Amino acid sequence: MNCEVCHLKELEVEHFEIREVVRCILHTIIFHRALGLVRPKEIDLELFEITYVQCGDLEVEKKIEEKIEQFIGWVEKHPNKKSQICLSFYEVKNKQVSWFSKQMERIYWEHWHINLNVAQQPKVHSVKSHNSKVVDTGENTLEERSIRRASLEASLRDVLFQIIRFVNDKKEHVPPIPSREGVISFPYEITIPSSSDSAFGMDMIKRMLQTGHPTMLS
Amino acid sequence: MASSHSDSAKMEQIITEFFAKSLHIILESRTPYISSRNFGGEQIVSSPSSSSSSSSSVRPRDKWFNLALRESPEALENLDLWRQSNLEPMVVDVVLVKRAIKWDPANFYPKAELSKNLSSKELHSNCWNSDQEELGNERSEKIIERWIVQYEVRKAKDAGKGSKRSSSNILSSIYKKLMLLLRSLYLTVRLLPAYKIFRDLNLSGQIRSFSLAHRVSSFVEPFTRREDAEMQRFGFAPVDTSCGRLCLSVLYRSSLSDVSSEPSTPMSPQLIPDYVGSPLADPLKRFPSLPLSRGSPSSLPFSRRHSWSFDQFRASPPSMTFSPSPTHSEPYASASNPRSCRFPPPGLPPHPPEVSHIHKDNVSFDEYYPSPTFSPSPSPSPPIYVPGSHVSKALIRSESAPVNIPATKFLNSSMLFKNQNPPPSPPLKGTRYGPSVADKKACPSRDGATVDKMSFVGRDDIGRPSGLKISSESSANISYSRNSCRSFQDDFDEPEYTCAFDVDEDDVTDPGSRSDLFDKGRHEHDPLQSGSFLPIRKSPDAAVGALVDMLNKAPPLHQDVSNLATASQASRSDTWSNSFHEYCQTPKAISAQDGTSSVASSALLASKTTADALEELKGYKEMKNLLLSQGGTVGHRV
Repeated sequence: MNCEVCHLKELEVEHFEIREVVRCILHTIIFHRALGLVRPKEIDLELFEITYVQCGDLEVEKKIEEKIEQFIGWVEKHPNKKSQICLSFYEVKNKQVSWFSKQMERIYWEHWHINLNVAQQPKVHSVKSHNSKVVDTGENTLEERSIRRASLEASLRDVLFQIIRFVNDKKEHVPPIPSREGVISFPYEITIPSSSDSAFGMDMIKRMLQTGHPTMLS
Repeated sequence: MASSHSDSAKMEQIITEFFAKSLHIILESRTPYISSRNFGGEQIVSSPSSSSSSSSSVRPRDKWFNLALRESPEALENLDLWRQSNLEPMVVDVVLVKRAIKWDPANFYPKAELSKNLSSKELHSNCWNSDQEELGNERSEKIIERWIVQYEVRKAKDAGKGSKRSSSNILSSIYKKLMLLLRSLYLTVRLLPAYKIFRDLNLSGQIRSFSLAHRVSSFVEPFTRREDAEMQRFGFAPVDTSCGRLCLSVLYRSSLSDVSSEPSTPMSPQLIPDYVGSPLADPLKRFPSLPLSRGSPSSLPFSRRHSWSFDQFRASPPSMTFSPSPTHSEPYASASNPRSCRFPPPGLPPHPPEVSHIHKDNVSFDEYYPSPTFSPSPSPSPPIYVPGSHVSKALIRSESAPVNIPATKFLNSSMLFKNQNPPPSPPLKGTRYGPSVADKKACPSRDGATVDKMSFVGRDDIGRPSGLKISSESSANISYSRNSCRSFQDDFDEPEYTCAFDVDEDDVTDPGSRSDLFDKGRHEHDPLQSGSFLPIRKSPDAAVGALVDMLNKAPPLHQDVSNLATASQASRSDTWSNSFHEYCQTPKAISAQDGTSSVASSALLASKTTADALEELKGYKEMKNLLLSQGGTVGHRV
């Protein structure tokens, strides 16, 4: 079975937008792969005039929120870095490793790569040289922000349509619907950059112990 | 065989259900629900669990494609049609219904009625029915989305193609693809612009001037080319079945800004004429009889004023308040001719002041061109320069230009106005100054504006409609603009002028001051006998002075001594100035007639250029010398 990969258009987001954007994208994808009896749940984004759909599965929601938390933590640790979240769907097959042991094997049939570029948080306080300048930049950033917000909204919309197109164009690789109960028909996993390296948790604890890094404490 | 038969029956059922489901999905998010928010709305709040599908009763229909939807009576209503044949396309037009606004709540269609299916007759024309605005309560409809669900049957030879694979596999694969397709549809419906309208209609309790309706039919009514151009298409990937394919596509308007941007502000060109020129926009205006002239309820102009002034016309008031001085309203104001009411208010609200002024200056610019003929100076350069300065100044101060220019416009284009073809402001053309405006003869609302302007323009002790004297005025404007800086200080010491000049210098030169100025110039120049002072340094008026001076210095035709000569010089110069006065005043005399006569008179004058005068003078001089010499010789001989 072939595995399809979809790289979603990169989005430039600010820190506070991460949560909504990622949530929206992840749910949208999963909604398309939730082939069980689904009672769609419409969600209006707060930051953008976009309505997306969740599949209404609590487990999914919980998992997604967890991953978002982790991701935000990672972003705080790695500012100014492009980051990727990967949502993968797989099938589980029993694979005979040896004569006596069987192993569950994940066979991925789809990867979604959500590409984010988290912009540095605007440092308003850094420009204090001139009073008038401060006012100026304040106004500018306001205006810029609304422009940026609008463009992000458009981009996010684009990404959602990209998902829809992908789902439409590639249907052959979707495995037959397993006859299992529930909304979610296919197992999936969400990977965020740091969760792949096992040292993440340790690394964080170490740092906290050593430096008492303020961002970590807060 | 039996199985394949049952498979095809299943397939047919799947297709039928697909039609039904897609219709359901579309209408569910395009049909505003009136009062009861069905489970979809509540579910968001209360029961997010996936198991809710089991807890809330699962209707059999929900099981199809594993997609549970809100009950949608509209969808059910329309479904029966499609149960019968899968071969016809299903066309779902989503229609934006706008009420052409009469702010009469009693007539307001309830949403329920609006959202009913429209008969195809009602919808016969796809675009706004009222592109050329029809009367009042007509509603206008515009198709904003067209969904087409279609089952394309493949040719017979391909029909058996898939038979080698297990047909149940094929069926489930198709079914799965359709599930995916429907989920995409479910999402897409919510991403398209029309969904915002749907949401607005649902979320807000307030009455809107628009609503959504839909029409389901089995044929595609072609769009006009223009509509086509406005539509974008999104095609879902077709799903192949054993003997055909299911297609789903949507044409949609990508921009619905006309509605969504101002959902509660009704916009209709109809109300604009009522607004334009409404003195309500300008608190400084006097409009004694305003309410009487309106056929519409008084609440009308008010509500509109607010909307308009808020939206676009914030900039306009300044341009309309140019004449704050009460002196302007006196005799000349009352003299205002009903005709003059026809041209639009000076600070044409629809366009920003800059634009209007530029335009006006352009007009005056044109008007300046004839002037060189009037100017005693043969050089055309000063007149050309003057308009330029006007323009630049006009950009800075918004008050002045209207004073002079609208009169100009009136003169030249009053006919145009009657034809509802007002000069600038293209988008508002015809509608704003439309018939209702032009035909209101003595519209008091415009009076306020006009009067102000006229009192200013018509200040030259004539009191005639300003429009009529334009040609002369503009020329005068040129002639005097150069020395105005000097002369008007004296001339306009009168209190009633000070205000005007505080407002704007340029205007001063235009209006009534003309003759005064001329006199002034003459007086100033008369004492100066040296011709060297006068020439070109100060253009037109100075040139006039030069001419006068030249006349003064010209040797008399008399054989008399120089004393006598000076006397005659004086008289001559008087004649000149008199002729100028005459020229200035002719318009007054002919005020009842149109501009042509004034033009004629000015043409008369125009024939006398400086060069001509010089020629004439030289001729006289020669003749005089000749006569003198002859007389001398004769006398000597005698």
